[in-house]
Amino acid sequence: MVERDKVELLRDILFTEDREFAKKIAERIKIIEDTIDEREKLSEKVNPIISKQLDDFVEEIPKKLGPTITATLKEEIRKNKEEIVDALYPILGKMIKKYIAQEIKMLSDNISKQLSTKKWSNKFKSWFSGVKEEEVILSNLSVSSIEQVLLIERGSGILAASYSKTETIDEDMISGMLTAIKGFVEDAFGQKNQNLELIEYELYNIHLQSFVSYYVAVVISGNYSLEAKDKVQDLIFDFYDDFMGKNLDSLFSSDDKEKREKVSRVSLEKQLNKKFGNAII
Amino acid sequence: MQLSKKIVVLGHFGVGKTSLIRRFVENSFSDNYKVSIGVHITKKVVEFEVEDTMSLILWDLEGTDDIKTIRDAYLLGTHGVVFVFDVTRPSTFQLLNSDLDIVKAKLPKTPLFVVGNKVDLVVVSELETLFKNNNIKTNFLTSAKTGETVEQMFLELAKLIK
Ligand SMILES: Nc1nc2c(ncn2[C@@H]2O[C@H](COP(=O)(O)OP(=O)(O)OP(=O)(O)O)[C@@H](O)[C@H]2O)c(=O)[nH]1
Ligand SMILES: [Mg+2]
Repeated sequence: MVERDKVELLRDILFTEDREFAKKIAERIKIIEDTIDEREKLSEKVNPIISKQLDDFVEEIPKKLGPTITATLKEEIRKNKEEIVDALYPILGKMIKKYIAQEIKMLSDNISKQLSTKKWSNKFKSWFSGVKEEEVILSNLSVSSIEQVLLIERGSGILAASYSKTETIDEDMISGMLTAIKGFVEDAFGQKNQNLELIEYELYNIHLQSFVSYYVAVVISGNYSLEAKDKVQDLIFDFYDDFMGKNLDSLFSSDDKEKREKVSRVSLEKQLNKKFGNAII
Repeated sequence: MQLSKKIVVLGHFGVGKTSLIRRFVENSFSDNYKVSIGVHITKKVVEFEVEDTMSLILWDLEGTDDIKTIRDAYLLGTHGVVFVFDVTRPSTFQLLNSDLDIVKAKLPKTPLFVVGNKVDLVVVSELETLFKNNNIKTNFLTSAKTGETVEQMFLELAKLIK
């Protein structure tokens, strides 16, 4: 073999291997490409199926799990009827009150319109009531203020929480006495489901707002006008709504009614202080 | 939080309900009889141990010879009952068992103590035969006048309802 042939041969070998190698690689690449391609093709097909199934699943939940959830809820509500009703009470109360307030406002707006000016309305009131006009104006301006708020367990009359502007005589005893008076009046004069709402006591008015498990007593000094009453009721409803919300939270956080943690007195009193402490009525 | 419990004290007229409470709360006694009207409420904080206290809210109900007429409103949410009779007046305990049935029907599952008061006026051994003959069982025999077993009775009840 001549030198040239040797080189040729070598090149041939090398090239062949090169080529084959390149071929093999190309094949590999083709396979990979195909796989990828197929996957894409596959996912194109599969993805809508999955998302359709997901949609179906979401749609199906109420149908499939609905009865179970409802049954659980029903059971929960049945077990804790009082707490649930108690939680709804302030919400309903607020709604009814808003409705009535709206009606009354419309009525008084109409009257005001007819009387054209506030001045005239005062004159008018003065003529009719025989009270001096200045006094009518004064009474419109006169302030009332919240002296004390008691959250009291219905029935037992046990004090759950209180807010007081100044030191007073024993609040546990006041709560008991108020409950006894309330119980007596409701027993003696009212049919069931009628609640004593106001006790007038010398310079004070005690507003009583009854709910299911508790009632709230607010002691007010000064002129307790309808407007003041309106504001006091709003404060009470807000407070009670909040309180019952927390109560329900704790209700659903534990199955065991006995072990359930009650809303603490400290947090209740903080809330009372916040809501009633700086309130202007 | 301070634990509060409601205790009602009831029984016939003049058996010493108010006197028992006054003895327990103020440690005093008066021979003057002032008929109670309606309800009177007092409070006494009892201490079982240091930092372990309970507020007893004591409802002193007006006396009545007909236990049925007691207002249900006064009994709501009661944690403990003290039924008092006067050991010197048979009319206050002759119908004791049926009186107690009425109380138990109004307050089912509520701890109840039966207390014979004014023991300072009688000889206790004679009482025992009297009670046996009338099929009467008491939890305590007390005297609001001398203070005998008064505090003990209320403390026992407090422990029971804790
Ligand atoms: N000797 C004696 N007298 C007593 C005792 N307890 C009460 N009394 C007297 O019995 C009378 C009636 O006592 P109260 O405590 O007012 O009786 P009550 O059950 O509250 O009476 P009402 O509320 O009217 O039903 C008073 O004159 C008391 O001084 C006692 O333990 N011993
Ligand atoms: Mg009395």
